Amino acid sequence: MPLVKRKTAGGVESYNFDSIFIGIMSNARKYWIFQMIGWGMFTLINIFFAFVFNNIGEEKFYYRLLIYVSLGIMLSHLMRMVIVSAGVLMKPLNRQILNFFFITLIFAFIVGVAESYLQRAFGLSPIERGSEKAIAMHKVILTNTFYSFIYLFIWNCIYFMYHYISKSQRQQLDTLRLEALVKELELKTIKAHINPHFIFNSLNSIRALIDENPGRARTAITELSNILRSSMQTEKLELVPFEKELNIVKDYLALENMRFEDRLKVEYEIDEDTLLQPVPPMMLQTLVENAIKHGISRRVDGGVVRVISDFRDDFHELIVQNTGTLNGHTVDQEGFGISSTVNRINLLYGDKAHFDIRQISPQLVEARVHIPVAQ
Amino acid sequence: MHMKAIIIDDERLARSELRKLLQEFPEIEVIDEATNAEEGLQKIDSLQPDLVFLDIQMPGKTGFDLLSELDRAPHVIFTTAYDEYALKAFEVNALDYLLKPVEPKRLADAIQKLHQVEIKEGLPIGENYNRSLLSEHDQVFVKDGEKCWFVKLSEIRLFESVGNYAKVFFGPNKPLILKSLNALEERLDEKVFFRANRKHIVNLRLIDKIEPYFNGGLLIELKGGEKIEVSRRQTVKFKEMMSL
Repeated sequence: MPLVKRKTAGGVESYNFDSIFIGIMSNARKYWIFQMIGWGMFTLINIFFAFVFNNIGEEKFYYRLLIYVSLGIMLSHLMRMVIVSAGVLMKPLNRQILNFFFITLIFAFIVGVAESYLQRAFGLSPIERGSEKAIAMHKVILTNTFYSFIYLFIWNCIYFMYHYISKSQRQQLDTLRLEALVKELELKTIKAHINPHFIFNSLNSIRALIDENPGRARTAITELSNILRSSMQTEKLELVPFEKELNIVKDYLALENMRFEDRLKVEYEIDEDTLLQPVPPMMLQTLVENAIKHGISRRVDGGVVRVISDFRDDFHELIVQNTGTLNGHTVDQEGFGISSTVNRINLLYGDKAHFDIRQISPQLVEARVHIPVAQ
Repeated sequence: MHMKAIIIDDERLARSELRKLLQEFPEIEVIDEATNAEEGLQKIDSLQPDLVFLDIQMPGKTGFDLLSELDRAPHVIFTTAYDEYALKAFEVNALDYLLKPVEPKRLADAIQKLHQVEIKEGLPIGENYNRSLLSEHDQVFVKDGEKCWFVKLSEIRLFESVGNYAKVFFGPNKPLILKSLNALEERLDEKVFFRANRKHIVNLRLIDKIEPYFNGGLLIELKGGEKIEVSRRQTVKFKEMMSL
């Protein structure tokens, strides 16, 4: 079985799809089993018909059969080598069909000639030598070639069908793999997002604090490194305990508080039982970042950011409220933060999770996520 | 050289950090600070600084909005943390900007550049604000969608009235500014900028050709190829000015 080495775009990993598809068997072994079954069936069918037509007792019949099956196995194996080395299966479909036809014809002729001469050499012809009804050699060869063509044609049909089916199955697997890869990459790009504006503004504030308040500057560096570390680590994880995510959010809001000073008030309402619930990393963080970016930072007087986590019905409910107005924007228009949140929960939970963002009072916007409670 | 500067930034720590960095430059005196665009506008009007350090992302209005509202743009050095939108605008027009946290070397370069502008124009920066009329050497800030420019008035060949807006023609660009033609006429030096008709003000220094037109009017062709009709009444005035 000709094998194409499959490589990803980067050429780093190579997946062996055949091992998934065929199981633990190697391709060579698989091929020989097919050969044995095929020619075994051929032998049995011949014996069956010999039984039906009552020449089961004839010794010559078995020799003929033995010669024919041996020739068949040898030459079909040779034929396979030709097919593989000529790369017939790689060619366009109409070329493949044409090649198969001619290869079959040539090998049928070889089998026909070999069989005829072997039969004559061993005196195995179905019609006795020297009998009056002796038939000219070329007619024998032609008849044998004709039958061989039929058998080899069936052999090739099976061979071709097998490869055709396994190829399409491989392609299905490829497609599935690719879809999974795309999904994984999507999740990665969404997760890795941390606003560079925030990082540089924080660094600037920290530099100012070094003289003014060295203690606060030190804490700020710890907070910033926690956030950076977590944004790098999350690439490897699909879910983290909520407590971990909350700590990042707390660090983040502490840093924003350092920048906005009395323009930002932060409030937490956390049900302690939710702390161990698994959540997508950096999701709450994105919502809080959004609340700052679209809410607080746009207001001269600043406002409040409230983070709420509790259980509602069968869901783990995460809420971020912020002072501000939605400006008539719908969910699609709210930019990267919102669309990435929607995409992420869709990818992770399908339609088992919900997200919405709305104006709950003239001065307050609420973003809410419901994710299924883990048992 | 002595320059009066204002820092406009919504973050106290960012302002105090910039002040600290500016201590290295005795020629720059920080006379005040503002925490948002509205406050900045008032302080620029009342204090008439020579130089403004301006943050772009601020609550309410952005730094760009602030500049568009000024008749005459002071020398501006933008400060921003990281803002793709702003950086794009800068790349197109090579405005001067500093990235926060500010590198002392970059700050020194930016200030050095101001000195060079001063020498090149032979205009002491400190005198820019004592006149109510805009001179050719004054610059205006123009923002049109994602692009923005500082334009010297001497480079503008034509103002065209479009409703409440005016279309400003310079180089290959013709962005809109939110100013009426009448308001512009009041502020512009009439020796250079001439009201050709109800809809157009032309820069007399950038005229290419003048031809007679119907009814004793004139047709002016500007260096950019625009053809402007001078009304009959204004033709009399135009001829008077030209004969001097």
